Amino acid sequence: MIRKTFEWALSPMGRIAVLIAALSLFSLAAFGVYQSQQPPEQPIQFTHKLHVGLGVQCLYCHPGALRGPSPGLPTISKCWGCHQQIGKTQTSPLLKPMVDAMAKGEGFTWVPVAQVPDFVHFTHRPHVAAGLNCENCHGDMTQVTIAVNPQVMNMGWCLNCHKQKAAGDEEKLTKLTDCGTCHY
Amino acid sequence: MTVDLNLVGAKGAIAEAAEGKWGMSIDQDICTGCQACVAACAMENNISFVGEEDAGYGRSQHWIRIERFWEGAYPEVKATPFQPMLCQQCGHAPCEPVCPVFATPHSEAEQLNLQVYNRCVGTRYCANNCPYQVRSFNWRDYHTIPERGNMVNGTLVFPLHNQFNPDVTVRRRGVMEKCTFCIQRIHKAQDKAKSEGREVEDGEFTTACAQACPANAITFGRVDHPESLVSQLTHQKRGEKHLEELNTLPRVTYLKEG
Amino acid sequence: MSQKISRRDFLKLATAGGATAAVLTGCGPASRYVTREPYVKMPEYTYNGLSTYYATTCRECAAGCGLIVRTMQGRAIKAEGNPANPVNLGKTCARGQATLQGLYNPDRVEAPVKQARQQALAAEAMNWDDATQLVADALNNTNPAEIAFLMGTASDHLFDLVTDLTNAIGAPAPVRFGALSMFESRATLSKAAEKSLGQAGLPYFDLGNADLVISFGANFLETWLSPVAYTRGFAKMRRGNSKKRGYMVHFESQMSQTAAKADEWIPLLPGTEGLVALALGRLVAEATGGSVARVFSTVDVREVSIQSGIPLEQLEHVASLIAEAQAPLAIPGGQALGQTNGLANAEAILALNALADNFGKPGGALLSPLAPNEDTYHRPANAREMKDFIAKLNSGSVKVLFVHGVNPIFELPKALGFADALAAVPTVISFATFPDETALASDYIFPDHHGLEAWGYQRSATGTMQSALSGAQPVVSPMYDTRSTADVLIEAARLAGGKLAEALPFTDEVAFIQSKIASLIGRTDGSFVAPEINSFTSYFQQHGGWWKTAAESAVLSAAGALNKNLNVNAAVFAGEGEFFFVPFVSPTLGEAGANKPWLQELPDPMTTVMWNTWVAINPETAHELNLENDDVVKVISEAGEVEAAVYLYPAIHPGVIAMPFGQGHTAYGRFAMARLLESRLVGLVPRAGEVGDPFPRGANPADVLGAYFNEAGDLAFAGMKVKIEKTGEKQYLSRLESRIGVYGEGLPQEGH
Repeated sequence: MIRKTFEWALSPMGRIAVLIAALSLFSLAAFGVYQSQQPPEQPIQFTHKLHVGLGVQCLYCHPGALRGPSPGLPTISKCWGCHQQIGKTQTSPLLKPMVDAMAKGEGFTWVPVAQVPDFVHFTHRPHVAAGLNCENCHGDMTQVTIAVNPQVMNMGWCLNCHKQKAAGDEEKLTKLTDCGTCHY
Repeated sequence: MTVDLNLVGAKGAIAEAAEGKWGMSIDQDICTGCQACVAACAMENNISFVGEEDAGYGRSQHWIRIERFWEGAYPEVKATPFQPMLCQQCGHAPCEPVCPVFATPHSEAEQLNLQVYNRCVGTRYCANNCPYQVRSFNWRDYHTIPERGNMVNGTLVFPLHNQFNPDVTVRRRGVMEKCTFCIQRIHKAQDKAKSEGREVEDGEFTTACAQACPANAITFGRVDHPESLVSQLTHQKRGEKHLEELNTLPRVTYLKEG
Repeated sequence: MSQKISRRDFLKLATAGGATAAVLTGCGPASRYVTREPYVKMPEYTYNGLSTYYATTCRECAAGCGLIVRTMQGRAIKAEGNPANPVNLGKTCARGQATLQGLYNPDRVEAPVKQARQQALAAEAMNWDDATQLVADALNNTNPAEIAFLMGTASDHLFDLVTDLTNAIGAPAPVRFGALSMFESRATLSKAAEKSLGQAGLPYFDLGNADLVISFGANFLETWLSPVAYTRGFAKMRRGNSKKRGYMVHFESQMSQTAAKADEWIPLLPGTEGLVALALGRLVAEATGGSVARVFSTVDVREVSIQSGIPLEQLEHVASLIAEAQAPLAIPGGQALGQTNGLANAEAILALNALADNFGKPGGALLSPLAPNEDTYHRPANAREMKDFIAKLNSGSVKVLFVHGVNPIFELPKALGFADALAAVPTVISFATFPDETALASDYIFPDHHGLEAWGYQRSATGTMQSALSGAQPVVSPMYDTRSTADVLIEAARLAGGKLAEALPFTDEVAFIQSKIASLIGRTDGSFVAPEINSFTSYFQQHGGWWKTAAESAVLSAAGALNKNLNVNAAVFAGEGEFFFVPFVSPTLGEAGANKPWLQELPDPMTTVMWNTWVAINPETAHELNLENDDVVKVISEAGEVEAAVYLYPAIHPGVIAMPFGQGHTAYGRFAMARLLESRLVGLVPRAGEVGDPFPRGANPADVLGAYFNEAGDLAFAGMKVKIEKTGEKQYLSRLESRIGVYGEGLPQEGH
């Protein structure tokens, strides 16, 4: 049975069939990779560029970064705090999802783009405390409309930086390259 | 200081290195076997329950369990003092060298035995080599067994998942797990202390089991700080370590009666 | 589940799905992004990723331990003890730890339903307006004398509210009951206190300052009265004094978890505890050379030795321990009280304390103080009062029965016939949070919040000599469409108008609670001082209650306990069987823990059995009966029979068999029930039915208990004699301890 299949695969028709199969699998995979690299659809077309350009500080909307593990995503009340005083809020079609959600008393279901897997316990506070700025990891948000993740946040990327920061300090290096620092 | 613990005649050095960093003392004279520590551990660390059948096969995932043995026969029978058994966070751990994928490294920073879930491939060598039998394996994806959820508008929801501690990874099928000495609490306390520019104080935080224990039988802290409560308890005459003769350098000290 | 997928199908689907996903995403995770749903209006004090902690009160039993619950993003993550609360000082028992498994239990009553006494929980939800109107009509259109309230032992604020309500309309006072209080024999303790200490109330035994503890069946390290407080006392007794280690002797027919902690466990025949206490008193008095007090004068020590089965030398040895001790303390409890002669036993044991002259003194027998807003000690109904209550239900003179916080169909002995009595009540309205047996047998279920979603307070009945009121507040917003029973009653009273509305003139539950704690405003002897109600309420929430800073003391006289004649009659045992039957509350499950999966998976401390019920039998006896581990036996009393697997327990009197109470539910959700499995390693009991069918997990020993009481009206739960019959079936109990090498057994052959 196997021999027969193998012989058929070596015949011209067989070769073409195998080629087509391989090609379609490859294109499916490529499509999948492409899909997974697209920024996700957000509940509202929020533009970082505009807000940061207007001088809004990162920590205004993501205050948790200074104190704890998660920077937090703003609640709609925070948006509304400013937007209720802006005339364009009621007229702009782009802002309609916010106006509607506010009227219904619903929240935004933001989709975070900079994520680490469940088995990594990342916390912002020490990174900020160590003097890192937001853009060191998240890129220059003044140039970004809808949030994208500029980095592949994998372990090599983490460790590269950890090793640089700890260069020359044996104790710090031990701590920053310990498995248990992030994985538990 | 690194000491080659396999070196013959390294005994003095071993005694020095044996201290470790974090340690625990368990007073068996006042442990009442009430299982509060077991429940507290499960609640803190997202440990899954396995159900009656798997528990019958010995697959239950207690990171800490309470042992009791019998001595003698009725009416002179005696139950030995309840013995909470958990990962001893050995300084020279038998589980560590047997892992083919290095998922059981020794934390140099915290002096603990780690289990890195994302690296574990489930060979179970470590559990087989653990003389304390404190490692448990995830035989299934227990958290998402369909019977544990409710069908709401066509989707399966698991109300019990609301309880998950976000500081602890939820383990999947096929990985080994064990007591971590509540490393998430260690990190949290260290982070807090660092943000306030000080050292972690003795008794500032403790593990879930020690926090729950109604008899205060469990004490956790720095065994390398002689003034800490756990150090003082550990060095009592009635202190004893289990299977010390295997040179595992356990970090848990059991306080006996008397 | 609406669709059934077999394991094989599931694997196929999973494999196919996994393969597709792997190809589609280039071996990456199928979905990279998850959505986050933030608060619409996040409280200002919360930060994402940081926890918020709330102080509240544990409702897993009536002890009133304070909790601090860690919450994150509106979810409760972990319950810890409240270090400030004088009852538990920051500690919790296993049941307190697992309280979140009740909150997030997948089997909750999620909305008000017209249950109509069906077997399964009614599917169609009512709306709360109709439900409240229905309660209002029931209160309004029923003759007040024909309304009855049956309530559990927690929470106290609701009991106060219902008491106010029934007082105002002239309805009978609410009846409170709980299986724990039944097995604790609270009425006996209270009556014995009245007779010996001179005041009714709940005695408190100051273990921490004693140096010798003689316990007669009191399982104070398990579930008794206030286990966390008693465990703390025990630890202090043992190791609190650096010069002398406290010593403990425990008399009980089986080695309970508490007995296992004793230095000497002395098995005796059930019902002879009082006699043993009297004999010890006489021996101590003789040893110390004093005159023998009247209470001990009539006892014949030799005779006691024969009746109880304790060798004379052993009695003399214990007496010498008492005579030498600085602060000896005798504690009555458990099966010593659950006998027909329970009250006399309790008095005899208290007389030992009188002999040691420790009444009202450190390390002695004290009387628990009343809580800050309590006028008099309200003990829960004893079993005889429950029997009278059931007779009232049967007589048809109750037209509407409201049930909250108690599951009498499960908790009361079947012989009392509560389930049948419900049939005589035209309308039964349950406020159950979980679909338990009694809720399912009701006409309506109007679910209350879980304790962690609710306001309230609980008076600490015992466990501390500081008068304490533990406060409860919601730590999370309600998971489901439930409503606080207090709010339902307040709203129903408003709808009904008239006297009812006058009785409860509150806007909501919080306003009611404020009215009840208002008397504490300005008090300077407590944990905090606040000048007016709003700041008082916020401190009350923040501290988790209000308690006095100083311990109370009462002057108690020992004279009454010693200078009296006390006849400890032989205990009467019902039935013909050859074994004394001793039920005890499962230390891990308590009365209502069976629906919490992690409590099920906690091994019993002594047998290490999980998820099921066992019958503990002495190995010698079992050998004579040709019984082995895991053989299923029928336990037959004159009141009924149950089936469970045998556990060869080396530390039990050969004439006694013991069974834990807590399992054997016929409802109460998926974890309290078992499912018929294909594999036979553990599965057994139902001999019919399809794979997957639910059936009771374990057995309920209350089914074999008869309606016999002691002089104080408490159930003589250890006063039954039973027969056992081998059924020929096997049920492999899941235990933590290895089977290999235990009593020479190998692994079971089947089921591999």
